Formats: sequence, structure tokens, C-alpha cells
Amino acid sequence: MKRLNKMIFISLLVAIGLALSVLESAIPLPIAIPGAKLGLSNMVILVTLVVFGFKDGIIVSMLKSVLLMLITGSVSSFIYSISGAIFSCIVMFIAYKYLSNVFSLIGVSILGALAHNTAQVSVASFMLHNLKIYAYLPFLMLVSLFTGYFVGLASIYIVKNLKTNYKMLFYK
Amino acid sequence: MTKGDKLLIVFVIILSFLSMGYINKQAFSNDSKYVSVQVNGKEVKKIIFDKKIIGTTIPLKTEYGYNLIEIGDEKVRVIEADCPDKIDVKQGYISRIGETIVCLPNKMVIEIKGLEEDTEIDIMNH
Repeated sequence: MKRLNKMIFISLLVAIGLALSVLESAIPLPIAIPGAKLGLSNMVILVTLVVFGFKDGIIVSMLKSVLLMLITGSVSSFIYSISGAIFSCIVMFIAYKYLSNVFSLIGVSILGALAHNTAQVSVASFMLHNLKIYAYLPFLMLVSLFTGYFVGLASIYIVKNLKTNYKMLFYK
Repeated sequence: MTKGDKLLIVFVIILSFLSMGYINKQAFSNDSKYVSVQVNGKEVKKIIFDKKIIGTTIPLKTEYGYNLIEIGDEKVRVIEADCPDKIDVKQGYISRIGETIVCLPNKMVIEIKGLEEDTEIDIMNH
């Protein structure tokens, strides 16, 4: 029973992440930098990491990338998306587990956004055989500070409520 | 928001501004282009821009005619020619990659080229 509960909950999280990803592509950004986005679905991955742990976080982020490719139908953005998702998941988990006395969830989320950008730019420069793509990285880093801050802020409230409401389910 | 978060934010802002400055400096140092002088389709001279050679003139005397090329600060022009219409002299300086000066009677082409090979991708969509 417990396992089924968890499975349903994780699939719900994947669905929320997908909906957020589709939604955020409809929100225009005031700055025109290719690759800059709000990263709302990062919220879901961060929450999964905190509430369920590393393994489920990776599963959610990978499922989200694959399903988003099936929805939008663009394979090249899938390669960027999945590399960023996996790398940022690993970085966020390490930051959350070993540095949680230094950083709150805001810091963890900013680190994840930075890792996401770094992975994406690295993959882009590898795919285009052009190292000059790295010139985007400082701009993306500044943008990811803002988005990472608000994603972290939102995640703090989500985690707080989730932990109190679902304690009986998952921490028996 | 803990102290570590604030430190991280400040650190990232400083890092990104420093690297932006570095990138701007790199982008405006134009050491990645050169002048290619071609006569009758073959490259006869290759000149890389340098501060030391500003103002030097290069006489180019071939079997087709005579041109005098002057190198400026990241730009190049033709100041003398023995062709009848002198279109190449009137054109003045060229400085950007891809620009050309052509003197048809003397079968001479001066072109500014990038040192790096262009990637073959025209457009990237994602």
C-alpha cells in the first residue's frame, strides 16, 4: 500500500512538473537570452528531492524531460533539458544533504539553476562545436539567480506543508 | 534565507560581472581576422593585423597591373591603382569579415577573412 501511494504521488509530481513546463513556455520573459527560462518545474524536482530523496528526484526529472519531448516534439531541446536536469539534480542533492546547515532551500535552488545552465551551455557548445557559446553563461547566471531565488522561496512553503500533511503516509 | 545564501548570491553576481568584462575584452580584440590578397583566384599575400604595421603600404605588381595597398588600424584600402576606372581606390576602407575590394582589370581581390573556420550550421532551432 505504501509503495502504491508513493508511486501515485510521484506520478502526480511528474504531471505537475510537465504542466508547469508547458505553462512557462507561454510566459514571455522581458530579456531575450536564448536558454533563459523561469525554471518553474525545477520547483517540483527540488520538492521531490527533499521529500522523497535522491532516487525519486532523478526519476521525476528524467521522466519530465522525456515526456516534455513527446509533448513539444523537439529532440534538440530534449538533449539540453535532460543533461541540465540530471546535473542540477545531482548538485541540488549534494547541496541539500551536506550543506543544508549553510544553505537554505533558496541556496540549494540557486545552485541547481546554476548547474542546469552550466550543463546546458556545455552541451550546446559541444553540439555546435563552438566554445564561444560560453559567453552566454554569465548572463544566464544572473538570470538564474532571480529564478532560483523565487523557486527556492516557493519550495520552502511547499515542503513545509507537504511534510506536515503527508507525514503519516511516508514517515511511518 | 541564511547567511550562506546571501554569500552565494553575492559571489555569483561578482563572478558573472567579472566574466562579462573578460568576455567583452576578448570580443573586441580583433586578432581573429586577416587580409587575404588574391590575384587571378590564387592567394598571394596573407596579412594579419598588428599594431606595428599600421600605415605600411604594400605594392602589388603582377602581370595584370599595379595596386598599392595600405594597411590601417584593423582595416585595409587600396590607395593607388593603374586600372582605368579606379573603383577599388574609391571604395575606401574595409574592415569587417567577408568584405571585399575587387579590381577587375587587374584580377585582384582583397578579402577580410576570419581565422576560424565557420561552422556549417546555418540556423539552430530549439
